[in-house]
Amino acid sequence: MADWSYIPQVLVSGLGIGCVYGLIGIGFCVIYNASGIVNFAQGAFVMLGGMITHMLFARNGVPLPLAAVIAIAAVALLGVAIERVVVRPLWNRKATMFVMILATLAAQIVIERLTLIAVGDQPKTLPVFTDRPPLMIGGVAIGFQLIWIVGGSIAIVGLLAAFFSLTKTGKAMRACSINREAAALQGIPVSRMLALAFALSAALGAFAGILITPTQYTAFNVGVPFAISGFIAAIVGGFGRPFGAFLGGLLLGLLQALAIVGFGAGLKNVAALSVLLLFLFIRPSGILGAAK
Amino acid sequence: MSLAVAAKTDASTAPAILAATGLSARYGHIHALHGVDLQIGEGELVAVLGPNGAGKSTLLRAIMGLSANDGEVRFRGEALPRRDPVAVASRGIVLVPEGRGLFSPMSVSDNLELGAYRLGDKAEFKRRRERVLALFPRLKERLGQVAGSMSGGEQQMLAIGRALMAGPKLLLLDEPSLGLAPRVTEEILETLGLLNREGLAIVLVEQKAPLALELANRVYLLSLGRIVAELDPRDITSHDDLARHYFA
Ligand SMILES: Nc1ncnc2c1ncn2[C@@H]1O[C@H](COP(=O)(O)OP(=O)(O)O)[C@@H](O)[C@H]1O
Ligand SMILES: [Mg+2]
Repeated sequence: MADWSYIPQVLVSGLGIGCVYGLIGIGFCVIYNASGIVNFAQGAFVMLGGMITHMLFARNGVPLPLAAVIAIAAVALLGVAIERVVVRPLWNRKATMFVMILATLAAQIVIERLTLIAVGDQPKTLPVFTDRPPLMIGGVAIGFQLIWIVGGSIAIVGLLAAFFSLTKTGKAMRACSINREAAALQGIPVSRMLALAFALSAALGAFAGILITPTQYTAFNVGVPFAISGFIAAIVGGFGRPFGAFLGGLLLGLLQALAIVGFGAGLKNVAALSVLLLFLFIRPSGILGAAK
Repeated sequence: MSLAVAAKTDASTAPAILAATGLSARYGHIHALHGVDLQIGEGELVAVLGPNGAGKSTLLRAIMGLSANDGEVRFRGEALPRRDPVAVASRGIVLVPEGRGLFSPMSVSDNLELGAYRLGDKAEFKRRRERVLALFPRLKERLGQVAGSMSGGEQQMLAIGRALMAGPKLLLLDEPSLGLAPRVTEEILETLGLLNREGLAIVLVEQKAPLALELANRVYLLSLGRIVAELDPRDITSHDDLARHYFA
């Protein structure tokens, strides 16, 4: 039987992973709001964020912060490329949601396999950003990487909120999600907004991947599990609601952590998928209610 | 009196700001517009009247390049791109669509700002906003309010105000009076008349004729996707006349 005195410690680590799920969930929402598309290549962005940073840092000696910035920019560009090459042609043909999910999942698998060929199947990691012993607060060890993850995620959520509510481009993106046709009638370049949504979610995914890699590892195949967790976070939060997705991510991270203590690590994904099923059955519109 | 007549005739022979030839549109296999020819002169206010389902909205949407369409639309002599509403809007043609198309969850102020999306000049932005708020003082009190929470009349004013923020050269309005109380309709149409007298070319689509007829330089009657008559509003003496034209 589990030792329940570990609970606070477990919750703290669940919080960290939950933030990452939340960021990935927000990535789903940003694209969904701009286009109605559920982009399952989201996991590839997370994997590549950590992987490219690792390659630059460990193999080419690029300082970590610079490596991270380059990785985020590169993944954002890849997001735009996927939008142009995979999504746009289908979108113009008014492909169904089902076709879109399949196509983006195919893109995910292609990226995964190319990464395998390029860097092999060995897991890679990154050093923690601040190499100091963890802070002890009331008997709970709080590592500096966790502070980076939580602080970084909250900062990003705040910046995104400011972007969407204060800048003209952010407002225009929201306008596209509210009424794409009316947005076009105002001369808002709706297709450029879709590309921007892909760039933004890809950058978010990469950022999440970079934050989490020092506490775990990254490998060519970590993308899909992350995508599924981010997707569940988005469902739990009420699909299309970025803030809800972040809350959903936190909830999922905490529940998963508890499930690991209670039932063992093998049941982590069972817990996650049970949460998904539970929400689909009982409250399909999520914590905050779906955006549309 | 004869002078006024001359002026009105001039408007109809003025150089066209917009000329559509053979404009057709369909929804799937249903043809909603059959080879419409129409001309709007610079500075003209043209009313397009017709019963429900005549194809009025489709006509405006086809001009904007919104629905699948054939034919040619020229704006000040230049052919407009088809199927590209963003490009058409950037030329200075702004549609206030049926149902208004407001960004309902966003504030009045944000809606106005998005109307001027393509405008970079801050001073000009301020000037336009002042002007819109002077035309529709009611919006001024509601700047921070969510657009969808306002009354129908206020929403229509916002939709028109948002369109004016773009600094349109040609304004297309799809049944702005729909669902509004007569007093509000009158107020809105008066403002449109004012804008037109300042030189703005306007196409006003309506089902209900009388108010539009007071403002219009010219009237097109649309029925079953075809223009069935082009009239001088002063020649229309009664509703019966209009009714006869509809079903002719
Ligand atoms: N989205 C649509 N799909 C199919 N048919 C449509 C659609 N919109 C309009 N129509 C049809 O096209 C014709 C013209 O419609 P519309 O332009 O809306 O007329 P009006 O604006 O004059 O009421 C009608 O017969 C209508 O049923
Ligand atoms: Mg209509």
